[in-house]
Amino acid sequence: MRDIWNIIRREIRIWRERPLYIIASVGVLLFNAVFYLTLMRDGLPKDLPIGVVDLDQSSTSRSFCQQLDATQLGQVIYYDDLHLARRDMETGRLTSFLVIPEHFNADIQASRQPHIGYYVNSLYFVGGALAYKDILTMVNLTNGAVQRQFYRARGMNEREIRARIQPIVLDQHQIGNPATNYGVYLNGVLLPGVLEMIVILITIYSVGAELKYGTSRHLLRTAGGSMDKAMLGKLLPCTLLFTLMGIFMELLLFHWLQYPIHGSLWWMFLDVLLLVAASEAMGLFIIGLFPVLRLAISVGAIISVLGFSLAGFSLPVEAMPPYVQGFSAIFPLRHYYLFHVQETIFGSGMAGWWKEVVHLLLFLFLPPLVTGRLERAYIRQDYERD
Amino acid sequence: MKGTKNIGAWIRDAYRIFFHEMRLIFSDAGVMVIFFVGGLLYPVLYNLIYSHGTVDDMPVAVVDNSGGAYSRRYLEKVDATRECEILIYCASMSEAQRLMQQQKVHGIIYIPSDFDASLVRGEQGHVSTYADMSSFLYYKCLTMGTSLVMLDEMHEIQVERCAASGMDAQQAYQAVQPVLSDESMPYNRPFSYTIFFISAALLLVIQQTMFYGSSLLSGTLRERNRSFASLPDQLQGLGIGRVLLGRGAAYFSIYLVIGTLIALLIPWLFHFPQRSEWWEVEVLLLFYIVDCIFFCFTWSTLITRRETVFVLFLSVSPMCLFLTGFSWPMTAIPPFWQKVALLFPSTFGCRAFINLNTAGGTLETIAPEIRAMTLQTVIYYFLSFLAVFAENKVIEHRDALRRVRDRLDERRGIDREEDRRIIAG
Repeated sequence: MRDIWNIIRREIRIWRERPLYIIASVGVLLFNAVFYLTLMRDGLPKDLPIGVVDLDQSSTSRSFCQQLDATQLGQVIYYDDLHLARRDMETGRLTSFLVIPEHFNADIQASRQPHIGYYVNSLYFVGGALAYKDILTMVNLTNGAVQRQFYRARGMNEREIRARIQPIVLDQHQIGNPATNYGVYLNGVLLPGVLEMIVILITIYSVGAELKYGTSRHLLRTAGGSMDKAMLGKLLPCTLLFTLMGIFMELLLFHWLQYPIHGSLWWMFLDVLLLVAASEAMGLFIIGLFPVLRLAISVGAIISVLGFSLAGFSLPVEAMPPYVQGFSAIFPLRHYYLFHVQETIFGSGMAGWWKEVVHLLLFLFLPPLVTGRLERAYIRQDYERD
Repeated sequence: MKGTKNIGAWIRDAYRIFFHEMRLIFSDAGVMVIFFVGGLLYPVLYNLIYSHGTVDDMPVAVVDNSGGAYSRRYLEKVDATRECEILIYCASMSEAQRLMQQQKVHGIIYIPSDFDASLVRGEQGHVSTYADMSSFLYYKCLTMGTSLVMLDEMHEIQVERCAASGMDAQQAYQAVQPVLSDESMPYNRPFSYTIFFISAALLLVIQQTMFYGSSLLSGTLRERNRSFASLPDQLQGLGIGRVLLGRGAAYFSIYLVIGTLIALLIPWLFHFPQRSEWWEVEVLLLFYIVDCIFFCFTWSTLITRRETVFVLFLSVSPMCLFLTGFSWPMTAIPPFWQKVALLFPSTFGCRAFINLNTAGGTLETIAPEIRAMTLQTVIYYFLSFLAVFAENKVIEHRDALRRVRDRLDERRGIDREEDRRIIAG
């Protein structure tokens, strides 16, 4: 017990001497949180630039443009020339543009069915998809407005007209994110992903630095020769700090920013604690497997960046090729995400996520596989140092 | 005479530094791993992970309480879309909800019992949809599938009703769709995740691997007190320019190869759309790589130890990706972050690559980005110049600085000897 306490004191001394540890953990998480939370603070983009080439310039086409401009999503930019609008779309300045043909108004009045042409730049994901939706809605509303005049002239009442214009009404509900907030969906997994990255890298760095700077024997001496005590003492303060950071992150998202959560915040604390423990185990496994700091940290970097893609919150895992799907299970973030879905979206409680708890706990069996190897490296110091 | 002699010496020095740097890069396994394995592995891995890129036939549960001809026709059409597939007809909403919670379905379509009756009476029929928001692609599939079918059904029912009120087919068609629309979605019709993600990620890999690799190298040199900033003193006369240019030439020649592999060969291998001429991509790479080099020289000044670059700056990679505006639109990014985005070559490089390679633009289309990158290059050249100058001064006065630090430590009562035993580095 006394040995462990001595190592903890030694560890705190290292952290005080090297500000890198605090900057790379607390500083990096805070910076990332500020970045992503302010980047998507609106939840949905507003005022996407939509180009309009109005060749008709009639009252109908003008009112169409004004209404498109008045939607929350779109902001109309007028062009005189099709080529200019096209060029601006190619350079990414416009998400989309539409062309209102000549004689638009006259053709409507004469039932000649004029065509509105619209072009969407589908290379910019969110912007393109939303602009597409916005224009499609506006074209349908225009159709409805023209029909309304036509049916009014035939003497129908408003109720009948509504049924004629829109016989089927779609009521859309978004389970777990009623406001379709892009930030809620993305930040809820991106920030834990950043935490996973920090935990893996710092664990590797702090255990590996003993090798690199040749202090590992001193560490083992302080621990009374016990590798288990040495690792325990080294990781305890880290675990405490990382868990506090994780709890702060969950509080920030679900309590202060009021992200929708169907289940209980306490279970999310459990989720983040398991994420921290599993990521530490993974970091320890990597440095044990490659007891050379610079190699281990490169491997850790490559793995934690891939974790973002393979967690499956952007492109779902089932849409990936079969041989990649199984690979996704080796990332703690994947299991954190599945737990997070069950708890925040469905509030399913233990019945929904107990399997993920088991999966995350399985990571803890990784370090014992390599501690022998790491201990030998600690004693012999016979690997390249940098 | 003296002028030509100086120029000759200048070129000889730059040449020597070029080979010196090349030797450093190629003899360092870590840097080689980052440059060649990291630089080429990521593009290949991303192409594999995102080889398909769309969610097709997403499983949907249906609760059809109406069970009439209209609801059946609606559901059959939804089933036929690329986006949705009806996995199961449930007897109740609670059953459907359970399936969604178990992640067996990612959407629910609920048709109330009065749906057919309302439509037959000539009134409005309601359909409710419930999307699983655990991924935006699920939401998009359900919305697209059900909305497109809704529009189609709407027109069909409208035509039926007009026909019932005595119009002929042509009149009815004209009445329900007074305005027609033609959509055109060039570049990425199915909104494939692959095309939009990889277009943005490829060039980012160039900047990031170069940054991590070169920082690794300069961190190592600084650990051994052999920083390249001490080079100007070893040369005849002082000249930081030749150090920068000599080192830059080394990175340039390596990255011209890696860049070509990333931006031309890998897309070709994976049948990724390549809509521009190959030499236009090379011109873009030329500007981009030079920009990246001086960007790396400037920022790697902050790295004093070998491994710290990963611990501190790894999470910058996803940030840079978001700052290119590939996902969250550039116009919706807060002004402060738009200014931060100006710091990174990737902001312009990735956008230029998307517009040039994937959208099939020309060099004229990407001229604004090229101009921005040129300006960035000039600024970063001077900043890296200043950085080398400053570091050189610090090295010269290292002993004096150390004495100041020791004095401070003494005052704070820190036992430096004990610390050295624990930390050493």
